[in-house]
Amino acid sequence: MESNPKFLNPQTLAKLQGLELRARSIVEGYVSGVHRSPYHGFSIEFAEHREYTPGDDLRYVDWKVFGKTDKIYLKQYEEETNLVSYMLLDTSESMRYQSAEAPLSKLEYAQCVAASLSYLILQQQDSVGLITFDDEIRALVRASSNPSHLKQLLHVMETSQPRRKTHTGPIFHDLAERLKRRGLVLILSDLFDDVPSMMAGLKHFRHRRHEVVVFHVLDPAELEFPFRQTTLFRGLEALPDVLTDPRALRRAYLAEFGKFQQAVRKGCRAQHVDYVLLRTDQSLEIALSSYLASRMNRVK
Amino acid sequence: MFPLFLLLAFGFGNILMLGWLAAAAAPILIHLWNKRRYREVPWAAVEYLLAALRKNSRRMRLEQWLLLLVRTLIVMLLVFAVAQPFLEQLGLNFVPGQRTLKVLVVDGSYSMGYKPTDKSRFERAKQLATQIVEESSQGDAFTLVLMASPPSVIVGSPSVEPREFLEEIENLKLPHGGGDLPATLVQVEQILHSAEHSGLVRSEVYFFTDLGRNSWVPDLKDTEAADYRRRLERLAQEASLVVIDLDPNRGENLAVTGIAANEPFATTAREVTFSAQVRNFGTQPRNHHLVELHVDGQRIKEAYVDVAAGEQSPISFSHRFDTPGDHVVEVRLGPDLLDIDNHRWLSVPVKDHLRVLCVNGKPASGGLSGATDYVALALNPDAGDTSVPSIVQPEVIPESSLLERDLTRYDCIFLCNVAQFTSNEARVLENVLKHGRGLVFFLGDQVLADRYNRELGGEQGVRVLPAQLKELVSEAQYHFDPLNYRHPLVSVFQGREQAGLLTTPVYKYFRLALADDSKARVALAFDGGDPAIVDEAIHKGRSILIATEGSLSSVDPISKSPWTTMPAWPSFVPIVQEILALAVRGQMAEHNLEVGQTLGDSLEALASRAAVTVTSPGGAREEVRMTLDAQASGWSFSDTRESGVYRVELGAPLSRQEAFAVNVDTTSESDLTKVAPDELPKEFTTHKRADLDESDSPSISRRSGLHKNLLYGVLGLLFAEVFLAWRFGHTTR
Repeated sequence: MESNPKFLNPQTLAKLQGLELRARSIVEGYVSGVHRSPYHGFSIEFAEHREYTPGDDLRYVDWKVFGKTDKIYLKQYEEETNLVSYMLLDTSESMRYQSAEAPLSKLEYAQCVAASLSYLILQQQDSVGLITFDDEIRALVRASSNPSHLKQLLHVMETSQPRRKTHTGPIFHDLAERLKRRGLVLILSDLFDDVPSMMAGLKHFRHRRHEVVVFHVLDPAELEFPFRQTTLFRGLEALPDVLTDPRALRRAYLAEFGKFQQAVRKGCRAQHVDYVLLRTDQSLEIALSSYLASRMNRVK
Repeated sequence: MFPLFLLLAFGFGNILMLGWLAAAAAPILIHLWNKRRYREVPWAAVEYLLAALRKNSRRMRLEQWLLLLVRTLIVMLLVFAVAQPFLEQLGLNFVPGQRTLKVLVVDGSYSMGYKPTDKSRFERAKQLATQIVEESSQGDAFTLVLMASPPSVIVGSPSVEPREFLEEIENLKLPHGGGDLPATLVQVEQILHSAEHSGLVRSEVYFFTDLGRNSWVPDLKDTEAADYRRRLERLAQEASLVVIDLDPNRGENLAVTGIAANEPFATTAREVTFSAQVRNFGTQPRNHHLVELHVDGQRIKEAYVDVAAGEQSPISFSHRFDTPGDHVVEVRLGPDLLDIDNHRWLSVPVKDHLRVLCVNGKPASGGLSGATDYVALALNPDAGDTSVPSIVQPEVIPESSLLERDLTRYDCIFLCNVAQFTSNEARVLENVLKHGRGLVFFLGDQVLADRYNRELGGEQGVRVLPAQLKELVSEAQYHFDPLNYRHPLVSVFQGREQAGLLTTPVYKYFRLALADDSKARVALAFDGGDPAIVDEAIHKGRSILIATEGSLSSVDPISKSPWTTMPAWPSFVPIVQEILALAVRGQMAEHNLEVGQTLGDSLEALASRAAVTVTSPGGAREEVRMTLDAQASGWSFSDTRESGVYRVELGAPLSRQEAFAVNVDTTSESDLTKVAPDELPKEFTTHKRADLDESDSPSISRRSGLHKNLLYGVLGLLFAEVFLAWRFGHTTR
């Protein structure tokens, strides 16, 4: 496998228009030649019905039910693939942040990562689903291994608008309940939320025997706080504005932020959750490597 | 902010620079401006920012204030340093533990007697000097110098006993002379050198002065000026030279600058007119100022003068003395702030008449044929008129009687056609001059020029002649050349040609020769250029030599004509009178001196037993020891630092009183013009004292390295600022 680092570079990606193009560039840059998954599985055993959501494959619509009830239900089957991945993409307002040093906003970066991973997963005949959320679930795309599924995923990602605050705890609990089939949960978020609550959600995932990878997407400015002159920090997610001399506060801020990161890392470690820090000015290689490493663990 | 009371404890060399203290507000303004000028950014991690802010807001505020304080202090200390501060509080050691030698130099020029308030400048100087001593640290040593002319070292060895030293300051009296700065610096340098090994680490020289221009801008020759400069540079390296200006104001002053009798001598027989000059040394005209004439302490007359600024007005008084003896005339001005020069005294020796001895070298063979006959007549033309009191009483003796008389009892001795003198006679004549009397030589056919030159011309050690006698000149008829009437002897003839001075015929005379270095003056010359009358002040008296005869007794053996017909000419009486006046004029000056000059007299040998007591103007009496040499005795008294009348009592066998008038030299210290501090050599640190009226608390400057310490402080604060800014996170990695 040889990587083409050019397309893993966020600066380069920023110049590319369209998430699909970006995803393809990333994956093709990272993976040369796709080989079939040796763990490909297929099941036609009916499991349950679920309500149609836009983007679902119409082949699985239960027309009988439609004929009886005028409602569109899909037939669900168990073990559609060997590996089911769920992308949990944070679309809260804080993800909109992009500093001068970063070529992409956190959301854009996370979208790139999610799209690339989806593309990669689908390329490998695995199924992938997508959930966008802020303080509630905004979109949920069921996992599918159909290559055409990618377009639907990308469409949902691209149309998602960052707004409102993150509430990971309840959402993770909710999703842990809803994602029946255990699989790989890939969380892409800045995790600016109450850490214990978030950890409780992760614990729930783990309880449901999901493998969880937390991609902690952060802007370099959030990690380094490079501001010098007096600055009015306009709070996103309805937080108050702060006018301060950043040089005087830098040390204290970094300490607070470090504590937050530490708490997240510690929580993840305690839950056996993979934690991957993604800086939006760094290559996406880290994200892809982390996914592949987790996938390897999963199939062992 | 910088405490105000600290500022008040300092004086400043450049106080205008303190205006820049406003710049200390700059860090605060920049801080406020920065707070208003901010950029806006959206921010996601506000939660952590708020948490950091909550926990650190107090610390941040404290750090901010600390940094602001440091930055403000940097500006303030910098301004403070540039303003050249010095500590006003006396006696505080900048360098603790270092013993300091403090040389206190008090200006002793009489302008220090100026009294703008209830205290004179001199009294203020003493007060400040006392305060310096009192507030000095233990272990400091002091010396005291009075900057008079000449300077006086009151305490030369460093004194560590403040109590005794303070007594010396208290006992300081202001002399009535000038101030000699270069000579004072010599004394100061000697003091510093002698104290080199006394363990005193630092030296400070304080000059308490009114910065009078006459003292502080000394009129020096080139070599003296170079010495002065070099000495000053050396002193500045060894010690801090601090000048304390006791009075920033120039001051107005009126002074009596001169008093003299118009007549050459005073007798009870006639009124004497005195002329005085009143000068205004100030910048404002003085009108209707009171001037009084006092005689022997009694106010006799008063007048009023108007004197324009910088100008002089004359004033005259006449007075007739009733009794012979020394009388003191005083011209006194109405009060002003400098009293010392408001008085001027004149000691006037008053006689019933002048006693003149005429020594006849060629006795009369009948009529007016004697050598002294015309002279004696000319000296007392009213001899036969009993209604007119005689002013001059001539006494004629033959030359053989010369040694029999006490010549010092005569005011003047006319020696007429005396053939020759013995050595004893020469010494007696010299003694006459030493007593301030006059000698007048008329020559004639009896005169042996060689003997004159030998005995009287200095060849035998006695010189009473103002010129050497050379050959006889008798080739033609000669007339007098008044030499533009420059000499006082003949000035009276100017414009009075009818007096016949210029037409007086002279047929024969001795050619007189003046030595190259002679101080003799030619009063009258012959038209051929030879001197006719020569005079010279010798010792305390005056000798006058006339080249020709004073009578008609000398007749040329060939032409059978007299040497001159001058005795019969109308000019003869005035010329003899003028000669007498010139010869005795010195007696009036004899008892009139200036401050610092020595009083004294030469007396006959038998007076050596006489007790001499001098009473100073202040009333102090002092016994003076008589000195005795081969021919004469004498006394002298040099402590004439105070102006006024010094009364001298001469005990038996003389049993008489004399009065000496000692006056100030008004050409210097009466002019109160000050020297500007920037005109002083840079070695001096000048400090202007506040107005004496304002406060009794003195402000003394000390040349210090305070501004340097402040600059070091600024440097330290700069480092502190950098460190604190870094420490408080105001620097980025």
